This record gives sequence, C-alpha cells and structure tokens, in this order.
Amino acid sequence: MSEGLFPSCDHTRGCITCGDEAIRMRVVRIDADRELALCSEESGERASVEIALVQPVAAGDVLLVHAGTAIAHADGEVAA
Amino acid sequence: MTMRYMDEFRDAELGRALAGKILGAVEPGRHYKVMEVCGGHTHSIYKYGIDDLLPENVELVHGPGCPVCVIPMGRVDDGIALATENDIIFTCFGDMMRVPGSEKTLTEAKADGADIRMVYSPLDALRLAKQQPDREVVFFAIGFETTAPSTALTLRRARAEGVTNFSCMCNHVTIVPPLRALLDSPDLRLDGFIGPGHVSTVVGCRPFEFIPEDYGKPVVVAGFEPLDILHAIRMILAQLSDGRCEVENQYSRVVPYEGNPAALKVMSEVFELRPHFEWRGLGFISQSALKLSDAYAELDAEQRFGVPGVRVADPKACQCGEVLKGVIKPYECKVFGTACTPEHAIGTCMVSPEGACAAYYNYGRFAREKELV
Repeated sequence: MSEGLFPSCDHTRGCITCGDEAIRMRVVRIDADRELALCSEESGERASVEIALVQPVAAGDVLLVHAGTAIAHADGEVAA
Repeated sequence: MTMRYMDEFRDAELGRALAGKILGAVEPGRHYKVMEVCGGHTHSIYKYGIDDLLPENVELVHGPGCPVCVIPMGRVDDGIALATENDIIFTCFGDMMRVPGSEKTLTEAKADGADIRMVYSPLDALRLAKQQPDREVVFFAIGFETTAPSTALTLRRARAEGVTNFSCMCNHVTIVPPLRALLDSPDLRLDGFIGPGHVSTVVGCRPFEFIPEDYGKPVVVAGFEPLDILHAIRMILAQLSDGRCEVENQYSRVVPYEGNPAALKVMSEVFELRPHFEWRGLGFISQSALKLSDAYAELDAEQRFGVPGVRVADPKACQCGEVLKGVIKPYECKVFGTACTPEHAIGTCMVSPEGACAAYYNYGRFAREKELV
C-alpha cells in the first residue's frame, strides 16, 4: 500500500486516480520480466507502475500515469 | 526534474493573447455553449479562472465526465452490502468512499466496522491480496476508459500470478453512450465539445467522429493546462465561424488519433459491454458500461459473492442529473452550498474535486459574482 504517496484526494488539488487525469512520471528502473517500472514524480515520490501498454520503455523516459498504469509516453511534455 | 514546457502552457501573457483571439472570433449577439466532457477539464477551468478570460457570450457547460459523479446510489449500496455481509477486505479509490448511498457512505460503513480500505491503484489492491492470502480482497473499480486498462492489466496479472483471493466489482463506464444521450436530449443546445484528453490517449479520437457526422457539432480533444483549454475553445470557435465541424486533436503531443492499441486489446480481452447500466442523474443507458468477460468470470466479485442489485432513485432535492447534463449551473441547484457541501454531500457532483459542484464550490465564487452583477 502506498498510502500518502499521492496526497491529492482533496478538494483543491483534485484526485489523480478518481478523476480522469494522469500525471507525468519519470522511469527510474525497470523490471522487464514483470512489466513494472519504478517511477518518480516531480516531487520525488516514487511508485511501481505498469508499463505493458507503453512498451518499449527505457530508464529516463517520461510517462503519463493513471491509477498506477502508464497510458502514454509524454517525453514531449517535459525536459530533464 | 523541471517541467520546461509545462510553464509555457501556464503563461499568463500567452493566455491573455489567446483570450484576445477568442474575443475576436465570436460573432456579437450569438451565444456559444461549449461542453467540457471531462471532469479534469472542469477542475482546471475553475482552478485557473478560465471562465473569467472568456467573452460573456461564450458559456462553458460541464459534462458527465466525472467517474465518481455518475455512480448511482444502488451501486454504492451494493458495494456496502458486499463489504459488510462478507468477511472481505473491500478496496476502492479515495473519493468513492465519500459518495452517499441510500443510507450511508463507504467511509461510514468503515466506521461501523467493515474492512474498507482506500487504494491508489488496482495494483495496490492486488498487492494487498498477495500480502494477506487468507483474506478475500475485492477491488471496487470505477472510471472511464482512462482507468479501465489499469483494472484490466491488474486482473490479467492476478490470473497470471495465480492470485485466487482477489476479485473485482466492475463499475467501469464508457464515454460515448452518455454523450449520445446528451446530444439526443431535447433540453440541451450545445455548439461544440472539448473532448476528454486522457480518455482519448486510450480510445483515440475516432470514437468522437459521430458527433460531427451525426449531429454536426465540432469536437476538439484537449490537454489539461490552461492554454490547452483556451486553445481548444479557439479551435471550436474557428470551426463554427468557418462553418466546419470535425474532430480535431489539440493534445496531439500526447494523444495519438488511433489511441493506445495495447490498452484497447487488454480491455477487449478482460471486459465486455453490459446491456445497460444506470447513471446517476441520467438513468439507464444501453451498452454504456463494462463487466468482466466470460474468460475472467472467476474474478468477478459480483459472481463470487453475489450482490443485492439494489435500485435506488436519486435524492429528490438533488439536481445532479441536470448538472451532469449541463442544463443548470451548480449554484442553481436547490441544495448547492446549503444542504449539499463537500463536507456533507447529498449529490455526487459535490463529492469528487472533478465534480462540477465541488469545483464550483471551491473556485467558482468569483465567477458567480460576475454573473450576478
């Protein structure tokens, strides 16, 4: 459980899982066998993310993540 | 990590320049009604005061795209029954826990002793099932096509990893049928649509082509930054003044026109369409929701435990239906801000931050003052 990882279930920030919004995360490390990646948010918070829908993925890529699943590449949106 | 390009999408000067172009594009004397389909857009519009930048004759109307707002009371009651009548761990997203059923919310059922826990993803719920192999773990799935692939992948993973104490109560919905229902609704006149950005990363832009083809209205799929939304409004107004109507993709930096084929494939493997599903405020809509396919029936919590299948009429005082259809503004509801507040919500539109009423309650007071003058 990652309670406190995304402290956004409130009225002012909006909720990234309940709403139809995705957040940008950068791939830190990949577990290729399980199609999971450790990803990092801009704030430094980290989470395991499903990457099956956006393969191929490499460390350093920026992904659009919704409810723990990457749904698109977002490399065009951010710079390192 | 710096969001180099993001800052540009929030640049106030560029925003004012775009607003100027919008002002130049409107015909005086014509009233424009543009629906933002997605609750994420509603939230951005209020957060950044986009309403205030628009000419008075361009009205933004909130659509049905908040996944929490559209869940009917009966499904909440069914979830509570599932959680309290079985020795299970019931998991769901945070906002869902505050949605009122006919007697209580999931938060209140938790306070009464049910083992109900908030998760941030279906994968978290599966992890919990693996940590507690002696307990049954049910994930209460909600959301449009943005969220459905995540549930589908988790169910596929549960089966691949042989996790037998995990199941899903599926409440996923699809965006096209309610849009068609809205377009067929006689009490609503809309000029165009801001299409849902993140739903479209999954389904692509093609499913919205029926709107220009069958109803003659423009659709512009848009991102969530303030300039994305202003740009989309300008593109819709340009279509209207040119006499065009088509699906355009303002958010092409993320949304491929054909969507995400891998996501569509796993969804079609794990889910199938329900013949009909009840929407809060909109009633029953044919083929508008997903259930687990026969291949995944053993992971269907409704089959594993049985649910009562409760039907409950929406509360009389609550006008969420009209708000979801864009017929009335949130503050025009009889109970807005008095009996119904984010702390004590009667209607679902007040529960989630993406809900039009909650967004208006938090950010909309200036806009309302402007309208009252």
